[in-house]
Amino acid sequence: MLKGTLDMMVLRTLITGDAHGHTIAKVIERTSEDVLEVEQGSLYPALHRLEDRGWVSSYWGASENNRKAKFYRLTAAGKRQLTSETSRWRQMARAIALVMGEATGGEE
Amino acid sequence: MSWRRFFRRSSSDGELAQEIGLHLAEEIDDNVAQGMGVEEARRRAFLKFGSPTRVREEMWKMNSVAPFESLLRNVRYSWRVLRRNPGYALLAILTLGLGIGANTAIFTVINGVLLRPLPYADAGQIVHLDLTATKLGPDPLGLSVQEVRDLREQNRVFSDLAEYHAMTFTLLGSREPERVVTGVVSANYFNVMGVKPLLGRLLIPADESVTAPPVLVLSYAYWMKEFGGDKNILGRTFEMNDRVHTVVGVLPSLPDFPDADDVYMPTTSCPFRSAPAMIANRDQRMLTGFARLKPGATVAQANTDLAGIINRLTIAYPKSYPASAGVAAEAIGVQQELTHAARPTFLILLGASGLVLLLACANLANIALSRQLQRSREMAIRMATGASQWDLFSQMLTESMMIALAGGVVGIVIASISSTLLIDYAAHMTTLATGIRLDGRVLLFGLGVSLLAGLLFGALPGYIASRVSLTNLSDAGERSTGSGSGTRMRSLLVTAQVTISFVLLICAGLMVRSLYNLLSVDPGFKTANVLSMEVRLNWTKYKKSETSRNFFHQTLERVQSTPGVQSAALSMDVPLNSTMGPMTAGIAIEGQPLHPDEVEPQVNFELASPDYFRVLGIPLLAGRSFSPSDQVETPPVVIVNDRMARHYWPNEDPIGHRVAAGGGDKKTWALVVGVVSDVHQYGLDKEPGETMYFPVDQAGLTNGHLLVRTRENPLRMATQAAAIIHQIDPQQPVTDVKTLDQLRSAQLGTPRVTSMLLSIFAAVALFITLVGVSGMLALTVARRSKEIGIRIALGASKQNILRNVLTGGMVPVLTGLVFGSVTAAFATRALAKMLFGIKPDDPATFVAIAIVFLAVALVGCIIPARRASKVDPMIALRTE
Repeated sequence: MLKGTLDMMVLRTLITGDAHGHTIAKVIERTSEDVLEVEQGSLYPALHRLEDRGWVSSYWGASENNRKAKFYRLTAAGKRQLTSETSRWRQMARAIALVMGEATGGEE
Repeated sequence: MSWRRFFRRSSSDGELAQEIGLHLAEEIDDNVAQGMGVEEARRRAFLKFGSPTRVREEMWKMNSVAPFESLLRNVRYSWRVLRRNPGYALLAILTLGLGIGANTAIFTVINGVLLRPLPYADAGQIVHLDLTATKLGPDPLGLSVQEVRDLREQNRVFSDLAEYHAMTFTLLGSREPERVVTGVVSANYFNVMGVKPLLGRLLIPADESVTAPPVLVLSYAYWMKEFGGDKNILGRTFEMNDRVHTVVGVLPSLPDFPDADDVYMPTTSCPFRSAPAMIANRDQRMLTGFARLKPGATVAQANTDLAGIINRLTIAYPKSYPASAGVAAEAIGVQQELTHAARPTFLILLGASGLVLLLACANLANIALSRQLQRSREMAIRMATGASQWDLFSQMLTESMMIALAGGVVGIVIASISSTLLIDYAAHMTTLATGIRLDGRVLLFGLGVSLLAGLLFGALPGYIASRVSLTNLSDAGERSTGSGSGTRMRSLLVTAQVTISFVLLICAGLMVRSLYNLLSVDPGFKTANVLSMEVRLNWTKYKKSETSRNFFHQTLERVQSTPGVQSAALSMDVPLNSTMGPMTAGIAIEGQPLHPDEVEPQVNFELASPDYFRVLGIPLLAGRSFSPSDQVETPPVVIVNDRMARHYWPNEDPIGHRVAAGGGDKKTWALVVGVVSDVHQYGLDKEPGETMYFPVDQAGLTNGHLLVRTRENPLRMATQAAAIIHQIDPQQPVTDVKTLDQLRSAQLGTPRVTSMLLSIFAAVALFITLVGVSGMLALTVARRSKEIGIRIALGASKQNILRNVLTGGMVPVLTGLVFGSVTAAFATRALAKMLFGIKPDDPATFVAIAIVFLAVALVGCIIPARRASKVDPMIALRTE
């Protein structure tokens, strides 16, 4: 997985709703058609970092299986960050695509 | 990374563990749902997650503040180490506490006297003005009314110039008649000093007019003492000098400067100052001046300006400024004037106590070093298990810092107790001493000194510790540490200690010898069993010299007839009591005419009653003393002292010659009837001046001292004598009751305390050094015991061993003595002004102290050296 992209993907995942760590990992795997296999352990330091920066907030709630779980929610600042990060990513992907000699920029 | 997270590390780690647990549980559930067996599902889940511990560690690190983390670890570790060695920790903390305490206490005084701003607005701009006769002596002449006016009108450097003088008047209307020290000032005085009233108002120009109703301004101290801070004091009236004075204001708390004035009045209220003769006479210099420099003007510029004015005055009034006197005006910054006496003493004391602390640090570093060598194995193990050099260094530093800070706490407690003693001592040197407090700056200083001390004695062992090599882990480790950088460093430390403590000992030695010289000065009179008290007559009541003479005659008669009294006398001054310089007067000697351009010779003059010399035990060398028959109507007589007799009548008997006091044309010749021996009238450290005594009855006395020689403790006579005076005049205050012994001790007080403090510092320094030398040698001997055993086994005699070890111990001492002598030769120059009868490079002191030092060091070295010579070669070799 590309460096620094995990944060972005976590933020992206949370746009559809609050989720706990396991759900986030699953969603990323599934939506990437299992191409991006998150090393699940590294998800937590990332979440911690995002919370530290104020991009996500957390609260304790019950999981689907009725277990006590920590849920993460995208904050307003997180949304802004996601927007800017996405556009940066698009530029980067396009630039890489150009260098690699492909016709169009890569879409997420 | 944040402090909040740092302190919540444990709880957030718990949460994380819970989160991970949930994650794994969900994953396992998912896997089971996909049809795996429970065991397989578990395995897969963990595989996919990675190591939960690693994740938690990562998060823990993310939450840590690295330097703080290691500091905390160091503190905890040091705490354990020190707790295991409570003896060492206690010794170190106490040593440092004493050192830091001494420094902080002295700094408290320096802070209060030298660093605290004066309570005057823009104090740096205020100067004190006075005239001096540069060719006659250092004592100020004062200023006359005319001169104050001239300076005020002609100067270009002052924005304002005020006049001041102090007098003692009787104040009636308080509980009992009181003598109050009165500052007589021009209306602008308080503006010049930059003082605002606490209550009411200060003086205004309208007060300074002959027709204005007399007003008073009270000092804070007097207001508190006499009226308990009563706010209704404004408008109260008191009678002074037969006029009614109204209190218009109270000053805030100020230093006793220029004098400890109780009240202030405008110049027009002072009957002496406002007398037309006084105003007209340019030569009556009873005033002094205070001025505020214009913004940007300096004291140097002021002095240049003043010199110009005096030049012009000299041309205009040549008689008032004889070239032979060298009259000059001088402006001194008030700040400097208030602190100049205390500054050198306290800076020297701070230097001395600083050196003692430095010594203590050196000793602790030495001890820490030897502990370090014992711990080199431990250090090597820590290094082998991954500690960096910096880790070891910071660990050692943390240890010393903890000791130093604990020492700092002890020190501040010591300082807060001992500074009260120091303040009393400082009060002899500066009036600012009363305002000394232990404030935030002092605490900061104490903290700073502690940190510095910790750094000083922690850095060196820390450095050595961090250079431990892993070879120490092999069993050869213990042996190889005997030599090497640690030992070299320790003997260097000893050399430095010897140098410092030798300098301190020399300083203390000089001060003690100077004190001894002062103590052995024969004051010229016998101080035992003499009581003195000041009797200042209310001049309005005793306007006629007859009435004052009657009062004094009655007093003397009644006191003399009191049981227990041997004799009683009156005089103007009491020897060793005057805070001012001598009263001098120009004289003429019959038969010894002056050349026209020659300066009129000046001598001190005193007033004395017939029994004065007997009461004080001043030997009469020739002729007779005054007798009761020397009265106003009989021919004037004088008695001269030995010095004056030798000067003016070197080869003949002065008795029968005539002298006249106060030159001029109308001379009153007085017959010399006696010669008395010299008296140290104005200080034990000051040579007696040429002195002329006039009889009290002929000269007239209003402010005098009653002197009583008693059979027993003179203080017992005090109430009786005062009662006698009150019988004669119930309104007559009696002040300043002291024995002559007390006066003499007071003279010696300051040098005594200074030399005592320096001696204590020096003794502590010597002790510390002795411990250092001896300790270093003992350690060396312990480390070398195998080597010594081998030497003995190979046939070295006990003497050989003894000499060998002693040499090892004494070499750093001797080196230190050499350095110390050179340093002391320079350092003692700072003392020069405080020494009496001894030069700062006095060779005898240097030699004597060097011998004492060597002897003490030798004793310190003998003990470990003897132990070395008693090493049993068998035991030494077997322990191999």
